[in-house]
Amino acid sequence: MYFAGVDIGSTMTKIVLMEKNHTVLSAIKGPTGPEHRQLANEVMKMALEQASLQLDEISYVVATGYGRLNVPFADRQITELSCHARGVSSLFPDVRTAIDIGGQDAKCMKINNGKMVDFVMNDKCAAGTGRFLEIIASTLGVKVEELGDISLKSTKRLQISSICTIFAQQEVVARLSDGENLEDIIAGLHDALSSRVAGLARRLKIEPDVVLTGGVAKNAGIVEAMKKNLGCELLIPEDPLLTGALGAAILAKEYFLKAMSKGEPSLPKARRLEKATFFE
Amino acid sequence: MIDKNEGLRKAKDIYANRAHRVKELKAEGNKIVGYPCMYVPVEIITALDLIAYRTYGDMAEPVTEADRALPTAFCPIMRSCLDCALKAKDGFLDGIVATHSCDPQEKTARVWESYIDYSYFHFIDIPGTLRPEALEYYKGQINDFKKALESFAGKEVSPEKIKAAIELHNRQRALVRELYELTKPEPPLISGTEILQVIKSLMSLPVVEGNELLGQVISDAKERTDGPQQKPARLLVWSSTLDTLDIMRIFEAGANVVVDESCGGIRAYRADVKLTDDPLDGLTDYYVTEITCARTFREAVFGEARKDYMADLESRFGYLKEMAKEWNANGAIFLLVRYCDPFAFEMPGLKDYFESFGIPSTYIEYDYTQGSLAPLRTRVEAFLETIG
Repeated sequence: MYFAGVDIGSTMTKIVLMEKNHTVLSAIKGPTGPEHRQLANEVMKMALEQASLQLDEISYVVATGYGRLNVPFADRQITELSCHARGVSSLFPDVRTAIDIGGQDAKCMKINNGKMVDFVMNDKCAAGTGRFLEIIASTLGVKVEELGDISLKSTKRLQISSICTIFAQQEVVARLSDGENLEDIIAGLHDALSSRVAGLARRLKIEPDVVLTGGVAKNAGIVEAMKKNLGCELLIPEDPLLTGALGAAILAKEYFLKAMSKGEPSLPKARRLEKATFFE
Repeated sequence: MIDKNEGLRKAKDIYANRAHRVKELKAEGNKIVGYPCMYVPVEIITALDLIAYRTYGDMAEPVTEADRALPTAFCPIMRSCLDCALKAKDGFLDGIVATHSCDPQEKTARVWESYIDYSYFHFIDIPGTLRPEALEYYKGQINDFKKALESFAGKEVSPEKIKAAIELHNRQRALVRELYELTKPEPPLISGTEILQVIKSLMSLPVVEGNELLGQVISDAKERTDGPQQKPARLLVWSSTLDTLDIMRIFEAGANVVVDESCGGIRAYRADVKLTDDPLDGLTDYYVTEITCARTFREAVFGEARKDYMADLESRFGYLKEMAKEWNANGAIFLLVRYCDPFAFEMPGLKDYFESFGIPSTYIEYDYTQGSLAPLRTRVEAFLETIG
């Protein structure tokens, strides 16, 4: 029995295929790209190939993320908040607070016994998201993956006062012309982003264990800054990008088994592994 | 077969073309007075045989003109209202009455008045407190309003005419409460989406026509067999104004909205105006103390040196607990418009309060644009997943 979780984020599309016992058979990450939601089928083909499976061997498919409504082969859509919470709690059973910093949003979830009980999400503003780091990296002429390591070399605490992406960008240019060091500027930016996300998370009254996920969790500088701003330790999954897709796959299994036990008509219904042709 | 949706269909048509009826009435020689907030005493407008017409912003219309008059980081509803006015979307209005429901509305009203040449424009100040002296002050304000409107209408209004108008509007309030009785059964006999269409229609029609519409909708909804389906959650919605079906439909994709305490819902209809000897006394009491809007802080004890947080919460939000119980809600959504300080300030306290009696709640912010609907949908769905 196989299950799939498809997480179409603003920047990356992630798919996890797993067995009933949670053994992951394939985990694929591809850029969502400008064609955005239409390419879920391509990523799914790759994932199926890697796992040597056919689509009709998958018992249940859950789609999540911003593109969740446009996955023609999904059996059910569940929000990324529930999926992240489920994925994180499967990896860290004692988690009470999960923070996810993605491409275009930051979210924080309170988890109790593996179930999300409350959440907050940032508004549609790039401050406190991966997009903020992408824009700043390009202003500084460095790769976004390099930001973390560069910032760890910082020796001076530099305050970046703007959390607005555009104003922060202007502030960075001003600091560069003041002759400040790149590593100190980047460390200051990490601090600015982290304090914004920590402020969001504090609305939920943070309790340990705290887990940090999302692409931004790969940035070691952010992880350090988040620890400082939250005043607690952080747990990071081995692949912080995949928790949403993993949670979606686990929820797929749970919904399927529940439906079976209730004797509801078995799935799959007719699925189409093709481009989405409609948009909401 | 008897068609049991005639009233609702009528409301749907009015919602889609709100100004149609008042334009007809204007062509017959009537004067139409716009008002952007339910704190305007519409009874006085009705008593002078003028037609009150609620103005709204338009989420589907990008704000362009208002940029020359208002800051960008500012109440998006007021920005949208002024933008629509500058684009002459409600160009048929003969006048506007605005109030100090909040600072953005007060400032916008002043700009509105200077940028557009209405034949009548009036501003009513409202005290932001429930202290006894507030009543006296506000009564002076509506007395001024009455006089100004009399000179615009070219006639005087007797206390008896105001009392008659109060009775008509109280009749409307009673009918809306009756409408909300229909959401108490499981499943509800009428959906939150349908109710929003009806309420918005009421605010676009002369009060008598609104009352007729309500009567028809209520009797239809009781008899029809194609009412809403039961959803896993029964929601209480609390908001400043909720004036678009798009949002209500997002809520109702996974839930039944059983009561909406907002300007698009029951707020303007929960209480009646008392019929006092001087009708302005009843109006004063109603508009200062009876309307529950976050623009007024309802503290438990005036001038208390050390505040009792829970007592204040009870005083500020007790009515919402009563409503949640009365409508048997199992979840609450607090819908917040970006930069709306009066409502944003209530959020932490309101969440604490709902937690104290065990009804899960969430607050969702949006910026009064169509673009904010997709993130709003995600938050609504996530919330329903937590309570489902």
